[in-house]
Amino acid sequence: MKSFLSFLLLISFFGIYSNASATEDQCFVCHESIGGAEVELYKKDIHFKKGISCSGCHGGDSTSEDMETAMSKADGFIGVPKGANVSKVCTKCHSNAQIMIKQYNSALPWNQEALLAQSVHGNLSVSGKEQIVSCTTCHNTHGIVNVKDPSSPVYPVNLPKTCAKCHSDAKYMRTYNPALPVDQLDKYRTSKHGILNAKGDPKVAECTSCHGSHEIRSSKDVKSKVYAINLPKTCSTCHSNSNYMQGYNIPSDQFDKYSGSVHGKLLLEKNDFNAPACNDCHGNHSATPPGIESISKVCGTCHALNAELFSSSPHKKAFDQKRLPECETCHGDHAIITATDKLLGVQNGAVCKWCHGDKPESKAFQTAKFMRELRDSLVNEEENALLLINDAEQKGIEISDVKFKLRDAKQALFESRTMVHSFDQSKFSETIDKGLNVTTSVTQDMSNAIDDYYFRRWGLGVSSLIITILAMSLFFYIKRIEKS
Amino acid sequence: MNIIKNLYNWIDERVKLEDLVNFLGKKYVPVHRNSVWYYFGGVSLFFFIIQVVTGILLLFYYKGSADLAFESIQFIMSKVQFGWLIRSIHSWAANLFILAAFIHMFSVYFEKSYRKPREITWVTGMLMFFLALGFGFSGYLLPWNELAFFATKVGTDIAGAVPLIGETLKIFLRGGEEVTGATLSRLFGFHVALLPGIFTALLTIHLLLVQRQGMSEPLRVEALKQSEKKTMPFFPNFLLRDLLLWLLILNVLAILAVFFPSELGRKADLFASAPAGIKPEWYFLFMFQTLKYIPAHLLIFEGEVVGILLFMVAGVLWLLVPFWDTKSSKGQQNRLINYLGLFAVIFIIVLTILGWIA
Repeated sequence: MKSFLSFLLLISFFGIYSNASATEDQCFVCHESIGGAEVELYKKDIHFKKGISCSGCHGGDSTSEDMETAMSKADGFIGVPKGANVSKVCTKCHSNAQIMIKQYNSALPWNQEALLAQSVHGNLSVSGKEQIVSCTTCHNTHGIVNVKDPSSPVYPVNLPKTCAKCHSDAKYMRTYNPALPVDQLDKYRTSKHGILNAKGDPKVAECTSCHGSHEIRSSKDVKSKVYAINLPKTCSTCHSNSNYMQGYNIPSDQFDKYSGSVHGKLLLEKNDFNAPACNDCHGNHSATPPGIESISKVCGTCHALNAELFSSSPHKKAFDQKRLPECETCHGDHAIITATDKLLGVQNGAVCKWCHGDKPESKAFQTAKFMRELRDSLVNEEENALLLINDAEQKGIEISDVKFKLRDAKQALFESRTMVHSFDQSKFSETIDKGLNVTTSVTQDMSNAIDDYYFRRWGLGVSSLIITILAMSLFFYIKRIEKS
Repeated sequence: MNIIKNLYNWIDERVKLEDLVNFLGKKYVPVHRNSVWYYFGGVSLFFFIIQVVTGILLLFYYKGSADLAFESIQFIMSKVQFGWLIRSIHSWAANLFILAAFIHMFSVYFEKSYRKPREITWVTGMLMFFLALGFGFSGYLLPWNELAFFATKVGTDIAGAVPLIGETLKIFLRGGEEVTGATLSRLFGFHVALLPGIFTALLTIHLLLVQRQGMSEPLRVEALKQSEKKTMPFFPNFLLRDLLLWLLILNVLAILAVFFPSELGRKADLFASAPAGIKPEWYFLFMFQTLKYIPAHLLIFEGEVVGILLFMVAGVLWLLVPFWDTKSSKGQQNRLINYLGLFAVIFIIVLTILGWIA
């Protein structure tokens, strides 16, 4: 793509500044007779084929046979463009819509220069005089060919190597971004994309497919195509296109499933960056589906306790033997929904039932049933305690400390969800018991407080009675002494 | 009964109680159609005694620092036996104390009881009234909850607008530029030490003067012949009637505390924005509302400053009424006093209601 753009850019330029055909180009005639790699390369150049003379980039008068005249500075000869001038030469045409459309009837966008300037490559180089990357860095100089030409350095199959010229050079990258890894190409070659790319498949994702071409931004830039919340959409550009994905034998509904999943909703709707995007499970440069045995490890990068408990549980061995994908078997893959209590147990809708539902006498069935019942009991106890707290609050009783205390029961509920993955009754009971102790204590406190509330009223009644008797006695005493 | 008699005799031998009983026995309280107002002095005194007793009990558990104040009251309300009752009674009695003091002050004013020779009684009473407002203001912050924090901020901001001394007064009250834990410590000190000390001294003078000079008679009663005047022995008749009223008030307090216990709200957060509708306690509401109605600028003066100055002048005039109302001291009717008092009562009631519903 880049080659093609550059190619058209040069075409436009030459079209304006030199109307001479290649055969009339005295620069070319003379330099061809001298010989040199530039001339040989230029013969294949798309700009040459469009009739653009050397003077289109180098300036001067290409119609003059006299070398002094042809290379006269008065006629704009600039020699070999250097530094910032390199890109300026290209953008004279490629950023001029009139030249690109009217002169060359080109469909190329004319904003590459602007995009490049805003990109991470548009920052100033260590010299401080030019951008880090100019057009020729990726597109070559005299041998620019169409981006669809397999010989172009920006042809999809060649692109990883082109980018790697800089990005795999640790010494060079250190001068700009020492923290940036330089093994992207090596990783890429281990990925599904990289393997197919190496086999010459131009359709698979290469660097620009995900990062963009002229508009490449830091992955931490919110406008970057690989910024966490943008990444699923970027991947879906290809992976949700069923026509494009034909022949790869994989589904194209991952993005739709992911968008509706707990992860997708968190990331795409709530902008919660703790939720995983595609690359968090599949890898980025080394993107590939996780293997069956490693799913719990991949999920475990975030769900560490669940993964650890699962790995030490009896299920690990059974799943491996039956070649069942670990977490995915119960929770699904792209369409993972919020795990609720419904998943646990042996009733309809419970995932345990899928394997253990037809053996009520088995230990696994009983364990699943027991765990669900135990968890339900804590949920009920917590709800009851909360009702008592609300009742007490309505009665004006101070409840903030018990409310705080009840958070431990909620915590136990959270922990029990994790502890499910041990599939161990005693460990699970231990966690639930912690919560039940809290709810029992809170319920007791609140019951006492509510009893105390009613006691207050009884107390008030009794004290009012005593006061009334005293007051009446006093009243009659006063009457008596005043009468006497 | 013998034990009581023996005990009385034992004390009488040493401190001559008989003299005191004889003194009290000779004291009489005028009886007329407005005698009921006499009781409000005693009612105010009763509320003050309740405040002292419940305040001391609260002090056993209350911690006067920003970190612990709110939590200590939570503890009082939820863990201390009858802590909720003590705090609720303290809170209700505080409000009723000021209400009783208001009524007592206006009844004395309208009866012109401040006239010679009771000028000092009036001045000490007024000073106690101002101190009671100070008790209310300083005590309001002590729970260190959201409402109290912002109300104190607003209140001290208003104090800061007093001409000349405003800024100094504000910093003195706050213990710094802003309302912080230092303000809480300071107001706590005022509430439990400084103000009670001064109040007790004034109260002693006030009560001694009342005992020495007796109850004031209204002008129209004073003008009657001695034979036409009705009286009631102070001891035991009036004192027992006082006691009866106190018992009824105690019951009302208990009912209020049980059915409308004092709320605590949320803990003050120095960095939170002020909740909507922050208002001072009801007894400051008429001043707060008046300041809201005064335009930002009155000619070349700031409206708020003018408002505060007017309240200060009114307060000083009210305090010094025995000295400029010479007609009443001479036994003559002074209708201007009645009109001014009526205006003050209507103004306070109307502005308080407007402030309440605003």
